[in-house]
Amino acid sequence: MAELRGKLTEVFQLGNERAGILDLPVKLWPQPGQYLPCQNLSRDSAVLPTNLFNVIGPKGKLSVGLLPGDWDPGNTLAALPPQGHGFDLPADARRVGLLAMGVSPARLLTLVEHALAQDAAITLFCTPTPPGDILDWLPTAVEVSPFTSLLDNLDWPDYLAVEISREDLDDLSALFEESRLPFPGQVLVRTAMPCRGLGECGVCSVKTTQGWKLACKDGPVFPLEELIHVA
Amino acid sequence: MWLDDSSPIRKQDLTLSKPFVNAAGTLGFAPDPHTMPFLEQLGAFITNPISRKPRVPAGNRACLPFPGGFLLHTGLPNPGISRAVSRNQHRWAGAPLPVIVHLLVETPETLAEMVQKLEGQENILAVELGLSLDCTPEDLSALMEAAAGELPVLVSLGPEQLPILLEPLNALNPVAVHLTALRGALPGGYGKLVTGRLYGPAVFPIMLHAAQMLVGAGLRVIADGGSDESWQVDALRDVRVTAVGLAEILWNVDSRRVSKR
Repeated sequence: MAELRGKLTEVFQLGNERAGILDLPVKLWPQPGQYLPCQNLSRDSAVLPTNLFNVIGPKGKLSVGLLPGDWDPGNTLAALPPQGHGFDLPADARRVGLLAMGVSPARLLTLVEHALAQDAAITLFCTPTPPGDILDWLPTAVEVSPFTSLLDNLDWPDYLAVEISREDLDDLSALFEESRLPFPGQVLVRTAMPCRGLGECGVCSVKTTQGWKLACKDGPVFPLEELIHVA
Repeated sequence: MWLDDSSPIRKQDLTLSKPFVNAAGTLGFAPDPHTMPFLEQLGAFITNPISRKPRVPAGNRACLPFPGGFLLHTGLPNPGISRAVSRNQHRWAGAPLPVIVHLLVETPETLAEMVQKLEGQENILAVELGLSLDCTPEDLSALMEAAAGELPVLVSLGPEQLPILLEPLNALNPVAVHLTALRGALPGGYGKLVTGRLYGPAVFPIMLHAAQMLVGAGLRVIADGGSDESWQVDALRDVRVTAVGLAEILWNVDSRRVSKR
């Protein structure tokens, strides 16, 4: 697997998380939901790689997060090519819902550009309302609503993208009746992936309707229907 | 010395072409040259731990960083010995380096069953017995007896087990002892303690000391233990370990760090 090198040209705040601009060629950018295993060559102290995701930021640049606290502009990063399965927005989706359950919506919001390109209406369902330094990056076409309004309008989206921590996956099932999934969707599962797909260490294991899967290789984006009401 | 029918015959030869192996649990169940460019630097590939029956991931699985390392608790998920063999035997046979199969030990009977499934498989260099923390000298003796067969037997244990098992190890004289991750505990989610294996340079001093004790007792030693830097590898080899076990360094993105070993 070829190793990449890139420089962190800028660091900025996204809510209580740090993000940065990474100068990699466009063809090597991760799709929304994929991740780049990275190591900071300018800082020799990290024991494990840091998995960076595409996050919302300046147009035309690769914004990545969550950055460790001691990474600075000018640092050189070693990275592997994009790993894992990302979001796959259906081409015919016209009402796209983004649901951030207990996590920052910064990664989900990278779908906005793709959805707008196919003239979709977009609503971010998020409680609490994201902080200003995230909202500042949102096009005005994106509506922001509290999480409860999704529950009141389950007939609205024709595609739902969710991000949630692995530990909170049971909360996802509580949203949908057992027999009915109103729309197709996908879920980005936020979990530690220390072996980045190499070791099958099992830390990132996710129980699905199709059996146990690994977020580092089989995810980290999974079909919504595989993660709800898992026996 | 005359052989008699009551003495088991044990293969005592374990030859590694390179003085490095991977720690069990770091590279999956079979080597993949496409994603593991460092394989040519290893003398053998050690599989993830395999139990007799399938194991599912632990409910409180976690990777918890601390200064100088991290704690890993997974529950050692694996498909069980039968499925592990059927899924991986062709990849083991075609691997560019020999394979050591790490077995999670329960009872002598189940261990014998697992070892039997591996005998006759191509390119299996040895079996490695992952001992439970509460293994007694009597247990160890019974397990070594149960594992005896066509394949050389390594014993894998953590430094915390040496006070009880060092003396019987000396007497039983396995083909090698693999000194593996120390165990510890850290607060996890919801204020509960998580117990697991410790990795990273912070554990190196403990591992080096334990390796020295084992070598001093006359045993052949493969030592894991936070060897992320060349000087740590050199220190282990200065105490005359047979090979160094590499763990989290293999998960590095910067492949130059691995090739510096």
